[in-house]
Amino acid sequence: MQYVFKLSATLLCLVLLAAPAIAADVNLSVAASLKEVINELSESYARKNPGVKFVKNYGSSGALAKQVENGAPADIFISANTEWMDYLKNKKLTDSASIGIFTYNTLVFAGAPGKAASMKDLTRLEKIAIGSPKSVPAGEYAMDAFKKAGIDRQLEKKLVMAKDVRECLMYAERGEVDGAFVYKTDALLAKQARILFTVPQELYPRVTYPMALTVAGAKNRDATAFIAFLHSGEAKTVLSKYGFATR
Amino acid sequence: MIPLASTDYDAIRLSLQVSVAATLLSLPFGFAFAYLITFVRFRGKVVLEVLVNLPLTLPPVVVGYFLLLLLGKHGWLGSLLNDAGIRIIFTLKAAVIASAVVGFPLLVRSLRIGMEGIDPQLLNASRTLGARWHDTMLTVILPLSLPGLIAGSSLMFARSLGEFGATIIVAGNIPGVTQTIPLAIYEYASSPASETMALSLCLVSVAISVTVLFIHEVTAKKLARRG
Repeated sequence: MQYVFKLSATLLCLVLLAAPAIAADVNLSVAASLKEVINELSESYARKNPGVKFVKNYGSSGALAKQVENGAPADIFISANTEWMDYLKNKKLTDSASIGIFTYNTLVFAGAPGKAASMKDLTRLEKIAIGSPKSVPAGEYAMDAFKKAGIDRQLEKKLVMAKDVRECLMYAERGEVDGAFVYKTDALLAKQARILFTVPQELYPRVTYPMALTVAGAKNRDATAFIAFLHSGEAKTVLSKYGFATR
Repeated sequence: MIPLASTDYDAIRLSLQVSVAATLLSLPFGFAFAYLITFVRFRGKVVLEVLVNLPLTLPPVVVGYFLLLLLGKHGWLGSLLNDAGIRIIFTLKAAVIASAVVGFPLLVRSLRIGMEGIDPQLLNASRTLGARWHDTMLTVILPLSLPGLIAGSSLMFARSLGEFGATIIVAGNIPGVTQTIPLAIYEYASSPASETMALSLCLVSVAISVTVLFIHEVTAKKLARRG
């Protein structure tokens, strides 16, 4: 009995000691496509500022926004589109003064070499993977581009909708589809598939990654310092290393 | 009346189609496996049992990925079928196969419980009366495992209605072609503008599941009383 009491007392002490450490952590909620970039940047920041600990949560922008809305601990939110940032802004969950643009991405068509060289060639292909336009922004941009190029009708029957960009790329890698519309940064990670062409920017709205401090994050000094670091030149170097456009 | 788009009606129809097809397709195999495991003694039975039950414990995504490797253009079965002009990936067939594999253990399990409950004296009696093994199977075992059959099919049907993880990998998420109710809900739920649509489709899904499980309970009770 006494043993149980001692054990629980020790545990209680441990929990109480650990609590202040948790308070100093910086909780990041970041769109999954930025995983490699944020991992590298947070490591380099933590090396220069010992004592700062990052708790990283990667997922789809929508899922992350819903988590923040329901009270998940998050100091910084980086979304893969402006829609979900506006969603949190309208619910007054972000510190609106801190909202800024982290980076940009470009839409490309990736597949086995030689399948296509421009939007016009797409009509000759059999199967094309895009993200579900209703839920995956990259898929929505691809649909916009088809409409602007006037080939949406011809492609209708050829489209395979995937649940996210990485799944599109997986289909292209395995040869299940002729090619897939993905972000340049994802295509650079592919082993088999190559970037066949870049979708002309005038065909779709610019892919923007906004970032902001949450209301809780605005009170966390480490979080405000880290977001300043994300605007720095070093962050831009890392971003371009992974294929993101910084301007 | 809750608002539903035309693709939602497609999704409901496709879900029912997939679940019915997957259940019917699995019934003969399920019966054969349950029979083997319950009545036939052979080496390596445990291995078979583990294999049959594997999809129950594996993440459906893993099942889906294995199916993609197997049935894909370069998979060993998929490439043969591809030469024969049959395409499985990204069609409703893929959704049916995914649901069949994931729901199969539930069917076998219920059938087994039904078969294990059969009085061995009845089987011995039929044998002493000169029945061959297939006579015994069709005239004694099949009618007596009917409750298990119905329980298993309705469970499997319900499981197929909810199949998501394996389906989205092998069948994709194509509205009107392979988009079943769970996939449509997933799509709605991941966009801020369509939360009410997601909710109304959720209600449809709940209604169908409740109906199926209700039928499951009622028939199981009736059969239990009769038997």
